[in-house]
Amino acid sequence: MDSYFINKPNLDRLVKSLSKAYKIFAPAKSDNNRFYKKIGEDGLGDSVIGEIRAVEPIKSFYFPARTKIAEYFSKEGLDKTERPIAIIGAKSCDLVSFKVMDYVYSQELFRDPLYVSKREEGLIISSDCTLYGETCFCVAIGIMPYPTEGFDINLSEMEGGYLAEAGSSKGGKIIKEYFKLFQGAEPYAQKRDSNRKKLKENLLEHVKKSRIPPKDSIQPAFKGKFDSSLWEEVSKTCVECGACNMICPACHCFILMDQKKEDGFERLKMWDSCLLMSFARVAGGANPRKLLAQRMRNRIDKKFNFFPDTIGRFGCTGCGRCIEACPGKIDIREVLSKL
Amino acid sequence: MENPYLPIKTEVLDVIEESPAIKTFRLKPDTPLHFKAGQFIEMSIPGKGEAPFTPSSSHYEKDKLEITIMKAGRITSMIHNLKKGDIVGLRGPYGKEYPLPEFEGKEILLVGGGVGLAPLRALFLALTHDIEKYKSVLFCCGSKTPSDIIYKDCVLDKWQSLDKKRIKFRVTVDRKDDSWKGNVGLVTTTLDKLDINLKNSVSIVCGPPIMMKFATFKLLEVGYKPEQIYLSMEKNMSCGIGKCGHCRLGNFYACKDGPVFRYDKINHIHEIWD
Repeated sequence: MDSYFINKPNLDRLVKSLSKAYKIFAPAKSDNNRFYKKIGEDGLGDSVIGEIRAVEPIKSFYFPARTKIAEYFSKEGLDKTERPIAIIGAKSCDLVSFKVMDYVYSQELFRDPLYVSKREEGLIISSDCTLYGETCFCVAIGIMPYPTEGFDINLSEMEGGYLAEAGSSKGGKIIKEYFKLFQGAEPYAQKRDSNRKKLKENLLEHVKKSRIPPKDSIQPAFKGKFDSSLWEEVSKTCVECGACNMICPACHCFILMDQKKEDGFERLKMWDSCLLMSFARVAGGANPRKLLAQRMRNRIDKKFNFFPDTIGRFGCTGCGRCIEACPGKIDIREVLSKL
Repeated sequence: MENPYLPIKTEVLDVIEESPAIKTFRLKPDTPLHFKAGQFIEMSIPGKGEAPFTPSSSHYEKDKLEITIMKAGRITSMIHNLKKGDIVGLRGPYGKEYPLPEFEGKEILLVGGGVGLAPLRALFLALTHDIEKYKSVLFCCGSKTPSDIIYKDCVLDKWQSLDKKRIKFRVTVDRKDDSWKGNVGLVTTTLDKLDINLKNSVSIVCGPPIMMKFATFKLLEVGYKPEQIYLSMEKNMSCGIGKCGHCRLGNFYACKDGPVFRYDKINHIHEIWD
């Protein structure tokens, strides 16, 4: 795809202009973390385009933690007056999570109308990681710390601005429309490649100490450990809070909940956690995963066994969010190293 | 785009008491659902929640359907309080139906336990609708006690005389009472001495997990091959459309790849009987 250079003031101009058509979010720094912040007509301000992923998973925008999805028995479409969403500064691991979400929510026979419309109308301006966090391990499972697909435009930060690459016709169109804000990619393209290579090498060195098995041996290793005591061992410090599920960009499970509203009833769709006792329980109390160790195994099974079989890739992006979120200090890298 | 989470407004036309814990609800949705025997629907109490059930009526009846429900939890308790004229929600149909064309020309063995007779009733009605397409039907029904037998007037009477040459019944109860003159024993005991050419037979099992497990093992013991056994796997099917994740069974979702599974497709999966 075509690449161009855009300097910082021009990116700010572009974002200001896009904010008329899109509801824009970009990460901003707070202490040593990055959280998405709404970008208005004031432009990017203290947004952080490079560095590492935000704390919140990108699914929050396309599949919010709690959404109304139906009103009894109204056939009218749900409120769609909102502007479409644009995310700036999404990272490679965020984009990879869409592979899972799109498979679940956009596949036929039944498509999830809210998710599909948000994805179709939305805009993704991703960016290369320029740092890695302590818990980052994407490269250990075959994901690069820079976007390779799934973006409309990708920005690679470098001195004075960004190398912008169009990744879709939507992104290409925006570059074309605002062409005067961009300039030729030379000599930035070479610099980008060397930046990427350097970060990748540093990150590979960082993940070495986690001793995660090679990507292609993870699934076979998991299969061999099904009846192992590992699951009991791993779940010893789990307090069943579900934080790992909530924060995971690839955890897609939800629960439907009905409630009364003033003039009728509505149905909500809310994130659910497979580590909770009730997750697989059926009426009458039968439960195929009564034990926490079974539920822990199920979580790993889904990510490293089910998804490789169904979509040919892991249901894990190596973002490390679950490691940071776990109050029981359960480290998925350690789990993988013990397979 | 259709909203797959939106229920269809449905009127309760009648409530039939089958046993102390089981009722059949006759329903008329505003828009017909067109299910096939074995598929399931999600039935909801507006504002309270929903649960999955397999219709028990004939799929040849187009605009109305019946669902037989055991009082087992929060939603089913609320459903049991429904009265004629009440409004509920329905979504569906979802999942895979019984593959009737694969049953043609065969000797069909139905094995049902308790409320598991419900999907088998829909199947039985579909089979008897074109009974000449099938060689024979043997319906083995098990219940805890005589008062727990559902569709009593059909199972013990009407269906028995439909086509005496082709359709036979074996009804048993786990524990008898004074009124009971029939077989006593678990449903697996009805699978002894089958007068069936196993090579040209299929068996379809539906019931509580423990009954399905032992009925399946018994069928294997008497000579059925895994590919001749069809099971209705009832997992926690919440969204019904393969998205919410609750009913995963190995690499399948019971809601979209099942609930009817051929045993050879799932017998390698851990946790299937739990």
